Amino acid sequence: MTLTAWIPLFALMTSMIASVVIFALPEKGYRLRTGVNLGAALVKLALVVVMVWGVFRGVDYGLSFTMVPGVTFVLRADAFSLMFAGLSSVLWLLTTIYAVGYLEDSPNRSRFFGFFSLCVASTMGIALAGNLFTFFLFYEMLTLSTYPLVVHRGTEKALKAGRTYVIYTLTGGAVLLLAIAWLHGVAGDLPFREGGHFTDADPDIQGSLILIFILLVAGLGVKAAIFPLHGWLPQAMVAPAPVSALLHAVAVVKAGAFGIVRVVHDIYGVEASAALGLLAPLAWLAAFTILYASVRALWQRDLKRRLAFSTVSQVSYIILGISLFGPVAAVGGLVHLLHQGIMKITLFFCAGNYAETLGIHRIDEMDGAGRRMPGTSLAFTIGAFGMIGAPPLAGFITKWTMGSGALAANMDWVIAVLVASSLLNAAYFLPVLHRLWFREPAAGWPHERRWGRLETSAWLFWPPLLTAVMTVMVGVLASLPFSPLSWAELIVLREYSS
Amino acid sequence: MMSAEPVLVLLAVGVPLLYPAMALRSAWQRAMRFALPLLPVPALMLAVATDPGWQLELPWLLNGGLWAMDELRRLFLLLTALLWTVAGIYAVGYLAAHHLRRFCVFWGLTLAGNLGLTVAVDIGSFYSFFALMTFAGYGLVVHEGTGEASYAGRVYLVMAVLGEMAILAGLLLASAAADSQLLTDLPQAIAGSSRRDLIIGLLIAGFGVKAGLPLLHFWLPLAHPVAPTPASAVLSGAMIKAGLLGWLVTLPFGETALPGWGAVMIVAGALGSIGAAVLGVCQRRPKAVLAYSSVSQMGLIVLMVGAALADHGRAPVLLSIIALYALHHGLAKGSLFLSAGVSLPAGAARRAAVWLLITVPGLSLAGLPFTSGALAKLAMKESLLEEQLEFALAGYLSPLMTAGAVATLLLVLRYLWTLTGNLESGRNPPMLAAGWLAAVVVSLVAFWWMPWNVEGLVKPPVWLPAAYQVWALAWPMLIAVALALLALVASRLVKQR
Amino acid sequence: MTLWLMAGLLFTPLAWAVLTLLMNFAWGRLVTWGGIVVQVLVSLGLWLIVSRDGGFYYGLGGWQAPLGIELRVDGLAVTFVLLTAVVASACGLHAGVYIDPDKPWHRYFWPLFWFLWAGLNAVWLGGDLFNLYVGLELISLSAVGLVALGGKAGALRASIRYLLAALLGSLAYLLGVALIYGQFGTLSIAGVVFRLEEHAVPAGSGLALALMVTGLALKTALFPLHRWLPPAHGIAKSPVSALLSALVVKASFYIAARLWLELGEPLGSLAAAQLVGLLGSAAVVWGSWLACRQLELKQVVAYSSVAQIGYLFLLFPLTYSVSESVSLQAQQGVTLQVISHALAKAAMFLAAGNLILATGSARVDALTGVSRFLPFSLFSFGLAGVSLMSLPPSGGFAAKWLLLQASLGSGQWWWLLVLLAGGLLSAAYVFRIYRASFLESLETDEFYHPPRSLEVIPMVLALMAIGLGLVSAEVLSVMALPFEEEGSP
Repeated sequence: MTLTAWIPLFALMTSMIASVVIFALPEKGYRLRTGVNLGAALVKLALVVVMVWGVFRGVDYGLSFTMVPGVTFVLRADAFSLMFAGLSSVLWLLTTIYAVGYLEDSPNRSRFFGFFSLCVASTMGIALAGNLFTFFLFYEMLTLSTYPLVVHRGTEKALKAGRTYVIYTLTGGAVLLLAIAWLHGVAGDLPFREGGHFTDADPDIQGSLILIFILLVAGLGVKAAIFPLHGWLPQAMVAPAPVSALLHAVAVVKAGAFGIVRVVHDIYGVEASAALGLLAPLAWLAAFTILYASVRALWQRDLKRRLAFSTVSQVSYIILGISLFGPVAAVGGLVHLLHQGIMKITLFFCAGNYAETLGIHRIDEMDGAGRRMPGTSLAFTIGAFGMIGAPPLAGFITKWTMGSGALAANMDWVIAVLVASSLLNAAYFLPVLHRLWFREPAAGWPHERRWGRLETSAWLFWPPLLTAVMTVMVGVLASLPFSPLSWAELIVLREYSS
Repeated sequence: MMSAEPVLVLLAVGVPLLYPAMALRSAWQRAMRFALPLLPVPALMLAVATDPGWQLELPWLLNGGLWAMDELRRLFLLLTALLWTVAGIYAVGYLAAHHLRRFCVFWGLTLAGNLGLTVAVDIGSFYSFFALMTFAGYGLVVHEGTGEASYAGRVYLVMAVLGEMAILAGLLLASAAADSQLLTDLPQAIAGSSRRDLIIGLLIAGFGVKAGLPLLHFWLPLAHPVAPTPASAVLSGAMIKAGLLGWLVTLPFGETALPGWGAVMIVAGALGSIGAAVLGVCQRRPKAVLAYSSVSQMGLIVLMVGAALADHGRAPVLLSIIALYALHHGLAKGSLFLSAGVSLPAGAARRAAVWLLITVPGLSLAGLPFTSGALAKLAMKESLLEEQLEFALAGYLSPLMTAGAVATLLLVLRYLWTLTGNLESGRNPPMLAAGWLAAVVVSLVAFWWMPWNVEGLVKPPVWLPAAYQVWALAWPMLIAVALALLALVASRLVKQR
Repeated sequence: MTLWLMAGLLFTPLAWAVLTLLMNFAWGRLVTWGGIVVQVLVSLGLWLIVSRDGGFYYGLGGWQAPLGIELRVDGLAVTFVLLTAVVASACGLHAGVYIDPDKPWHRYFWPLFWFLWAGLNAVWLGGDLFNLYVGLELISLSAVGLVALGGKAGALRASIRYLLAALLGSLAYLLGVALIYGQFGTLSIAGVVFRLEEHAVPAGSGLALALMVTGLALKTALFPLHRWLPPAHGIAKSPVSALLSALVVKASFYIAARLWLELGEPLGSLAAAQLVGLLGSAAVVWGSWLACRQLELKQVVAYSSVAQIGYLFLLFPLTYSVSESVSLQAQQGVTLQVISHALAKAAMFLAAGNLILATGSARVDALTGVSRFLPFSLFSFGLAGVSLMSLPPSGGFAAKWLLLQASLGSGQWWWLLVLLAGGLLSAAYVFRIYRASFLESLETDEFYHPPRSLEVIPMVLALMAIGLGLVSAEVLSVMALPFEEEGSP
């Protein structure tokens, strides 16, 4: 095998090996563990960068072998894989840095970082999977590796949330497996291919295809937290902040959304999906989820729960974007995969900083925190405005592109959804910002810790600021080559031209 | 490109934008305070020293950026930069230590937004700057932190967000219709779009929130009085005009006749100019009166916007006059707002001088001869002559303008009246006084050297109204004075009971 | 070469059984280690030969059927021989450390262990019905003895119960064998098949098959004949439980499956096939449900065996009057299920033994804090659980995938529901254990830490169960090798 075949495998293995090494390290090996973590993250980032450059020039990275009779295990890097892989490797690096600071002096760090790396390896596998079977492999691995992270604190509440999480995701996984097996029975082993496989499907199997599509979306929709399958997400908030950040921004919800995009674009094909009448209901469902979750977010008093409902709402943008059946809207959807990740991870980092530095968990405790923690609060503000879709931040690019796409596809009602969602986002984020900056702080913080010169530990301080800067940059510099927007345009160009 | 414009424009927008970075160190607080008036200086140079017509392409920005300058934008940029400069000088003297850094941060951001939107030609950066100004403006409104300020801030924010969303939807629809990311392509596309009325409605409403269109104006009388005085001045003088600029650059003026929308705007303008006066004279606080006066003045401008919408042949002329009027009103209203914070010095002569300098810009608003107000009013009157306009409501415009002039002076008189009870005696901080004086001078004197255009409607020398025009200007003022006296006498009588 | 290998495979265990009978526990352990090395090498050698040259019939001592002992050495058989070598040696090594050498009756562990191994090899390779019976009896008796080693009254009770069930099963099986012999005059399966091709089906031979399958189902603990299994597996020493669950029940199933595949088409019926499938499904559901409700850790694992065995019996409906390819998929799926369950369940029992040793209590809720202070054994347990939940990339998943495909291919969609529900139910009891162990309430380390060697063995088995899925195509390819028909009747 040539190097092009090995690079995806290496990218996958870096975090896998890191995980094994970390499990083997003693609990006290703090420096070594941090070194392994960061080293692996950097190596992986480098590999992804190499692949990004290669795929841009048209190189085909991939390897495959028969795993079970009749089914192949395929790793392949295409433009869309690398979008997700890039997101996960960049944010993994930042989250690792953050987590090192966050978990300072807490027990079970070896276990935590081991599963953490395993979780990222699964994400990488999901990104690089070349067919549904391989995708499913890593999709379930993700479920398993995130469970110990969700229940990490080991409290009753955490375990209860973990149970809910597992019930939802494993059931979703079972449905997904059924759908994949059925599809395999109907059509054989289908690699992900731009343009899909069913553009002129046999009329006899159309009924099965529709049912399979519904099952696929239902199975994937659990992780993507589409209404009414979103119930696990707000509960999973008991996890430590870096886990929430990773769960929301990169790993779990994105895996679901990524899978739905794969199914629509690379298994069925947009045209076939539209011809089978599957896209419009999906769009309505996504639109409803966007609004429903935003309304629910309004009533949450706990900061992380509010963010969780915001995630439910935002992830459905991706699905809405691809189900509008038009290239521009699809660009909007795909680019949100990255944008939402960057913005949401910023918000969760900040929520974690407030909790860790000042002991703040509820929104009504946040009065005046902006003066005590200006850097964190600035990052939070940028993230929140990004979510609202205020220009020139990342969220605006999404909304603008998706809105233009919806109009191009003659789906005017989407504009109303976008506007309503922005209003709701404003309604639940702006009061928080007001509290941060304009209220006088209460007499004392619930549980304050001090770290010398900076407002919080340096490990915790820089990651949110960096992602906040990225939130601004991906918006302001959206037209540069290799920006998320340009990359999404490349993906869609390849999808729609085939 | 070797010319100075790109550097200047990047400085003009970039300097205020980076200014908040100074807040990182508390030691720089003093520097931040004194740098306030310097922030708009590059923009001022850009407006004064460069000729319109240049453009700057920023292909990496958002969906492809284009910043440029034409006559209209130059006038708005000049107004904005001037007003922010004088208000900045004023603010140096005005500000207390209370949350000083925070105020400076929001000041810088709001300023960057306000300046940026006047030069932005692509939709992305225009909307970005507009939103920046809106959201950062919230920080200025609620700065004092009182319950009243919070309430005003909430109303401001709710309405601003609703407005932003209407603008977003309108721009999206228009951009899709034009298949372009440039504002300059929008009017024509809107005129020909199948969703024309929806787009126009959204844009009028969206920018109308900023411009204080009646029924969308509620935030204005709440926010202006509670904001710190220099912030009220820019809110009322410059930021309101941003909404107007939004209309001017997006709506399909001169493309096609829209008598329906023209009528709507004329009714709205009438309602605004007279209704706001009725509500305004009932106010007790000087800055609230001024806020209603702003709504009323914007009502007059809305009248002209309506006329321009209804009669596309006349639109180019009307647009110039609107810009002129906006410039005049912005400067005059700015200096009036700043005067609300001055203290009366000791000594009768000085007091009289101060009162004079407070009164003259007010009277200028009402059209006092030899002031910018007279010029603006005359130009407006000429431009709206019935025989030159071709739509149904044209005949109502002249009486409405006259009524508006009466309303204007009544509000000014009411303002002066409330001010007598509110001005404190004492020494003014030097920078505060300097800022206010600069505003008055700019409004009364420097105005005449500015690059406005009366489209030949007023015979030169423009600063000297002809004899028949003096009477036209004067009689509404006399009516207003008579009404004011009547009210005074009536209130005395009521008190004696 | 082959002669030596065959001899080594069948006679070394017997020889070692006799040898260890004469020694105390510690010496027995030492000798056993040597024997394990021999067995592993021999099994591996045979596997390599078959995977290179294909399978063959082998007449032991040069005697061919119908007079002599005929052995059927095909890909499937050698795969199971190798599996046995792996699992049994793991259990043997584990037991050497785990079992307390001071109890006098523990010295019988080694002879019983070796008899069991001999019986297993005899069953995998057996070609005629009577030899299979002998092997089966050898297995049953030594297994009962191993259970009785638990020593306490409960263990004795369970072993008696087990003995009764085993005897009853043997009886039914023997009756069936007798009927077959009466009708066909041969005990060789290949011979019966040969006669069936030539002549019409004699009346009553269906009953013979039914009797044999029923007897074997009882020994395999198919629902509703499973009641003897959980007490026996639950109360035995952990290495013993591992052997019983991983290998012993598979031996009787292996015979039943062979009979069905060879004779099912002519002698069976659709209703019978569906009935067996239904019982298997009931086992999956009922076993998992009971596993969720057990308070003791090993009982959970034992009931899990009942459930997992249920999957195996889906072989019957999925190979009866279906197309060649679907039948092949079903066979491959069940084979993988046998292998992966053997590895995973052995790992799980051994890990459970470690956990019980560490906490000093057999109860599930005693696991609190284990994940912090004893992560290694828990991790082995967890990995084995992944395979039991049939999540990818484990062997259990590959098996389930093939069974899903077979169900879809044969149009018997109702088994899909069983397969999916079974996966979820197994997740329910596996996650119950995780949940208990992730609970944090202890601040200090109050556990006995078992020696590393005890902890490593289940981990190796669990990793093999997980890795099986990735190499399942290669593993299955050995089974599909051509079978050399020399020496058949």
